[in-house]
Amino acid sequence: MDVVLRHLSAFTDGITTTLELTALSFAGALLIGVVVAALRVSPVAALRGVGTVYVETFQNTPLLVLLVLFVFGLPEVGVIFPLFTTAVIVIALYEAAYIAEAVRSGINTVSIGQAEAARALGLTFGQSLRLVILPQALRGVVQPIGNIFIALTMNTSLAAAVGVVELTSAANRVNLLEAQPIPVFVGAGLGYMVICAVAGLLTGVIERKVAIVR
Amino acid sequence: MSGFPLRRPRAAASPRRLRTAVPAVLAALSLTALAACSGGSSSDVPGGAKPAGEDVAKKADVAPDSTILPNSTMAKIKARGYLIVGGSQDAPLWSQLNPISGKTDGFDAEMGRLLAKYIIGKPEVKIVSSATETREALLQNGTVDVVFQTYTITPKRAEQVAFAGPYYSSGQAILVKKGAGGIKVPADLNGKTVIAGANTPAIAAIKQVAPDAKVVTFGSDPECVTALRQGRGDAYVQDQALLVADVKQNPDTTVVGEPFTADPYGIGLGHDDVAFKTFVNDWLRKIGQDGSWQAIWKQTLGTVVEGNPPTPPAIGGVPGS
Repeated sequence: MDVVLRHLSAFTDGITTTLELTALSFAGALLIGVVVAALRVSPVAALRGVGTVYVETFQNTPLLVLLVLFVFGLPEVGVIFPLFTTAVIVIALYEAAYIAEAVRSGINTVSIGQAEAARALGLTFGQSLRLVILPQALRGVVQPIGNIFIALTMNTSLAAAVGVVELTSAANRVNLLEAQPIPVFVGAGLGYMVICAVAGLLTGVIERKVAIVR
Repeated sequence: MSGFPLRRPRAAASPRRLRTAVPAVLAALSLTALAACSGGSSSDVPGGAKPAGEDVAKKADVAPDSTILPNSTMAKIKARGYLIVGGSQDAPLWSQLNPISGKTDGFDAEMGRLLAKYIIGKPEVKIVSSATETREALLQNGTVDVVFQTYTITPKRAEQVAFAGPYYSSGQAILVKKGAGGIKVPADLNGKTVIAGANTPAIAAIKQVAPDAKVVTFGSDPECVTALRQGRGDAYVQDQALLVADVKQNPDTTVVGEPFTADPYGIGLGHDDVAFKTFVNDWLRKIGQDGSWQAIWKQTLGTVVEGNPPTPPAIGGVPGS
């Protein structure tokens, strides 16, 4: 394991980039995901259609294909973002589809009586969604969203293929020098495990905190 | 506002139809995007066209039975009937899968077939791909017999595996966009963004000549060239032979100066297998003398590098071999 210790700075830099990538793209995914879920339950057919197309598009395309298309395809039409930014955008867009489905399932668990009551009080669709439905829906899907967070953390390793030096890419570079793949990749694996274990524990804490006692 | 559909109404059948339509549209879209990316005709894959397609391995010699020692690695390979090579499928000129013939073309690939012919009597090779990350482990646990993969001999690596050879001496060179001034010598890379292939010796070479360069890596050579042309970096450092091929395909790029490193490529073997190493080194000397080495150089690297085949490097001539 001393290979990992000798190159500790490479590993910590890699973990930092992985954490930044995870945090930024998760924030983006959460935001887009909630909006898409709202689209999918909207009373306007066209908006429902947009939401459905979004989810089916991003859920049914491999993330690596999307990354390569965005990194090498967009510059062909004159749009060029830095690699890190591109990775954040693509991972956020991709994971948003999963978040949207999790949130939608949460919305479906909120009893229809809640929506009817909100309507009886004179709230508009937007108001009832924002003030009545979503707060209850989100509380119910903390665990699934936590799972998506963990999957997202693992998925950030694909950014190594398009030049972002995160944990996997850093491990690759160390291995190239040291020629000891097993300790190097076990070290990288432990890094991912720690991040995800912490995320899992936090998810449990949040879930217990916000649970609705019925 | 009748029916307040917070739950999706069952009557709306259109999303169901969309489910099948969307993947089809997407597939079409991604195809157009891919076509847009791969400008230039697809026939001029470097190393794809062979001059007077003679098969060197067909005529190559087979080892005399006396050299296949009982219970040795050679005997095991011969009994198995094919050689397991750790290699690439995506390195033009060196080891690249030809999707039309289904064969892997290139200098490393041909070397593997030649060695298989020498041991077994027929050029039967199975390439275990994606070995760059794990080739030391693959050699140590016996998943592969040998590694032919532009595998630079270094003393660090020689602690983990054994190297036969070197069988080729290469060097890293610098590719830039035509008309981009500012990079004349390797030290000019300092402070610049430099593209390199992931898992190539270029990364360490750049760090050595220009410690302040920012290295960006991509998985394959075409990706690196595309990234350079799209302005994601100021220069691309790669094996010179590969860069020469890249310039042929992309006339808007040019190689700056001469190679600035000497990379002796070796054949990776199990660490303690002395008999096998001696056997492979003897074979390397033999193909260097009988002209097979030069013949496969002409068919692969020789298609882009001008002039006559170089002299094969001296066996065991570098630290670690």
